[in-house]
Amino acid sequence: MYSVEADNLIKRYGSNEALRGVSFRVSEGEIFGIIGPDGAGKTSIFRILTTLILPDGGSARVLGLDVVQDYHGIRRRVGYMPGRFSLYQDLSVEENLRFFATLFGTTIEENYDLVKDIYSYLEPFRKRKAGALSGGMKQKLALSCALIHRPDVLFLDEPTTGVDPVSRKEFWTMLRRLREQGLSIVVSTPYMDEATLCDRIALIRKGIFLDTDTPADIISKFTLPLLAVSGPHMPSLLRDIRRIPQVFSCFAFGDTHHAVMRPSDLSLEAQINLLNTSLHATGHSDLSIRPIRPNVEDCYMYLDTLEERS
Amino acid sequence: MSRGENTRKRIRELLGYTDDGFLREDEVIRTEGLTKCFGDFTAVDHISFSVNKGEIFGFLGANGAGKTTAMKMLCGLSKPTDGRAVVAGYDLHFNSDVKRLKKVIGYMSQKFSLYEDLSVWENIRLFGGIYGMKDRDIAEKTDELLLRLGLTEQRDRMVRDLPLGWKQKLAFSVAIFHEPRIVFLDEPTGGVDPATRRGFWEMIYDAAERGITVFVTTHYMDEAEYCNRVSIMVDGRIEALDSPAALKQRYGASGMDEVFRMLAGRAKREE
Amino acid sequence: MGRMQDFKRFMSFVGKEFNHILRDTRTLMVLIVMPVVMIVLFGFALSTEIKDVKVAVYDPSRDAATSRLISQIDASEYFTVTAFLDGEDGVLEAFRSNSADIALVFEDNFYHRAVHDSDGRLQIIVDGSNTNIGSMAVFYVSSIVSSFQKELAQEAALNQAAAGGSSSSAEDVQPVQIHTSTRMMYNPQMKSAFNFVPGVMGMILMLVCAMMTSVSIVREKERGTMEVLLVSPVKPFSVILAKAIPYFVVSAFILLIVLCLSVFLIKVPISGSLMWVVLVSLLFILVSLSIGILISTLVAKQEVAILISGMVLMLPTMLLSGMLFPIESMPKVLQWISYCVPAKWYIDSIKVMMIQGLGIRYCLDAVLILCGFLTVITGLSVFKFKDRL
Repeated sequence: MYSVEADNLIKRYGSNEALRGVSFRVSEGEIFGIIGPDGAGKTSIFRILTTLILPDGGSARVLGLDVVQDYHGIRRRVGYMPGRFSLYQDLSVEENLRFFATLFGTTIEENYDLVKDIYSYLEPFRKRKAGALSGGMKQKLALSCALIHRPDVLFLDEPTTGVDPVSRKEFWTMLRRLREQGLSIVVSTPYMDEATLCDRIALIRKGIFLDTDTPADIISKFTLPLLAVSGPHMPSLLRDIRRIPQVFSCFAFGDTHHAVMRPSDLSLEAQINLLNTSLHATGHSDLSIRPIRPNVEDCYMYLDTLEERS
Repeated sequence: MSRGENTRKRIRELLGYTDDGFLREDEVIRTEGLTKCFGDFTAVDHISFSVNKGEIFGFLGANGAGKTTAMKMLCGLSKPTDGRAVVAGYDLHFNSDVKRLKKVIGYMSQKFSLYEDLSVWENIRLFGGIYGMKDRDIAEKTDELLLRLGLTEQRDRMVRDLPLGWKQKLAFSVAIFHEPRIVFLDEPTGGVDPATRRGFWEMIYDAAERGITVFVTTHYMDEAEYCNRVSIMVDGRIEALDSPAALKQRYGASGMDEVFRMLAGRAKREE
Repeated sequence: MGRMQDFKRFMSFVGKEFNHILRDTRTLMVLIVMPVVMIVLFGFALSTEIKDVKVAVYDPSRDAATSRLISQIDASEYFTVTAFLDGEDGVLEAFRSNSADIALVFEDNFYHRAVHDSDGRLQIIVDGSNTNIGSMAVFYVSSIVSSFQKELAQEAALNQAAAGGSSSSAEDVQPVQIHTSTRMMYNPQMKSAFNFVPGVMGMILMLVCAMMTSVSIVREKERGTMEVLLVSPVKPFSVILAKAIPYFVVSAFILLIVLCLSVFLIKVPISGSLMWVVLVSLLFILVSLSIGILISTLVAKQEVAILISGMVLMLPTMLLSGMLFPIESMPKVLQWISYCVPAKWYIDSIKVMMIQGLGIRYCLDAVLILCGFLTVITGLSVFKFKDRL
């Protein structure tokens, strides 16, 4: 049985279509990532699945229960962490956790084993007000609160936004460990580098999924040649690469530019040479051009550009 | 030299601060032992560094490392407890200097940048006016800016109706509208899609080419790679400062996120 | 899930709300200090001594007695005669132009009627919109008049003796009599400044209950914690109910303070039954709480909640409840609107019980109307409450 099934979900806010037909399945014990920028419709998906809003079209089931009909049953069995860390700022760490435990008719002690790993980070600050915690700590507390009633599915809406890379790394380690205990997790993030930590991902853009697959398969579907170009003068290099007709798209990726080449019969070496010659002609020298394996971000931007141009 | 300038110079001399070449020719920010305490808590602990003219300077650190506090001091929003800092030729020690400083810097953060209930051009006019630009200059530059951003058609639209990516581009353009010497960007690219994020960085490059120094904080480590030099703050101190390539080499790392995790992972300060 | 468990959960909610309230010391202080300040201020306003009350006089008889009485009144430190009127109609004008606070209207041929017919008539007309001055001024004028009456009586007796009329005994002499009558303009029921006390009570309780409850519920919506509460098995309406309880307690406490201050500091007589005053106040607290909950189901932002409870509730409460302006003298439309203001009914019934000293049965209608409000508003907010976003 699937933990989450969504079929052709549609959601409108006035004339604005937040979701334009979204379908996916999440298996038991799977981390399913919804990857995309703000305003793409991620939060609408979470709110429909957690029974907070009604879809305008399509249907969804969580743990086999319909999100419209059986919402009481769903609310008893899911854990939810909304986009902003929904904690009571004026209550202490311990008071927050205890409150959420009581809310679900349980106690911290009863389910301590489940949150132990996470809560151990917080234990030294148990008396501190939640409002005085740093971003990383708030995030861990919010996760503990969402877990304390031992839910079967966990919905995490952008849990790592605004949190520093160290805390983000720790957070993902925790999620992997929870998955091993059989929990299904649906998580959204705007950080593409977190995609590879999910079992399966959906790339979302303007209310539709560009693709849904395992990160590896999404990457393997990217068959166009991808070249990393760097040189002494990066900004003008970017502009000049984009002017070359054989280049489909080019974006800056840190210390190199990633150029996607249009499909052609030329060999990879020939394409590199072509790029090198064209760039020399526009005055660039000392260039380093090498083929690279795409990452999820390359894939997202490629699919995004395709959509944009169609 | 105006009379105000003279008085200012005199006061500095009396206090023992002369224009002593503390800030070097090619630098735009220089700090020495800059410190900020809140009660017993030392948020920023004797940091010393300099930023060169026209440089893109990445200011990284974990949540709670003291980045925001340091940035607030450099913008003149918060008075240092100790140490010296000169920004764009103005010494943060003097209130009169801090007032002048604000005219030659720009600031943009993810949280606040534009008035959502004003139209595109009203926002531009407002910020131009705040920085004391003449109406005619504002009008001229507004047209030019809207054309460049491709927003000419949208000039009367409310900012709240713009997509997030456009808002951010507009916010950045407004922050550098008065041609500041330095622009401070506090996590400017949160939440936008990867293509827009890159478009945004291209604008940053343009600004740097025009000679505006860019001082930026971010949580995206790939963005750190775009910077000329990067500093990483841990527990209120600057643990490392160099070009991304040099840092990666020194720590034997393949990417900046690895460097960051190595350094920030050492943090002792309880959050 | 057991009933015990439900109860425990509910109590943990209530505990959490108490924590929120008690930790926000600043707001709590404002809530307690504000009623104290208001009551004390009104208390001082009440105890102000009257001085130099402006008196207008209409004196058609113009005889020795009237001019003596007028000069005596003018000579007293309490009064200054400011105008002599040409007719009774002038009184209204004098009040409107604020050139007089009270008016004395003598009848024609005053001296003769007072001494020979024992029926000198003097009307004291008071500008009732100035409640502070009213009753005191009447009291002082009356006392000056009665001493003047004695003077006249003595003189009349002496005159008679001098006339040598020893034949007639003292019993035969017509006693000198001046009859004063008092008339209120603008405020015929002579509402005293004590009326402010029920008014302040109504306003404060409305403010604390409606505003604070709605703000604290809406705050959860804004912070996103409501989302988490909704996605939990807890019955959403019990979340709301749990919020109402602590504010009920705080309001009851404030009620206690206000009552104590009124009785001990400004000495408002609680002439009716204290128990009923308290019970009706608690009923009104419940009505206000239900209004707060209703507001919270309708709005999503704290500022809007404050604005609605501030503007939409406070203004009618102050202006249309009879606290500042007598409802009887308002245009009909405003009177109808005032019937929809719960505070009006509360203030009415508290006035009846506290100041007029009558029993609960004289304000039963108002109490029943409050019960009606409670039922309708609670029903509406249950109906409007959504268990989704």
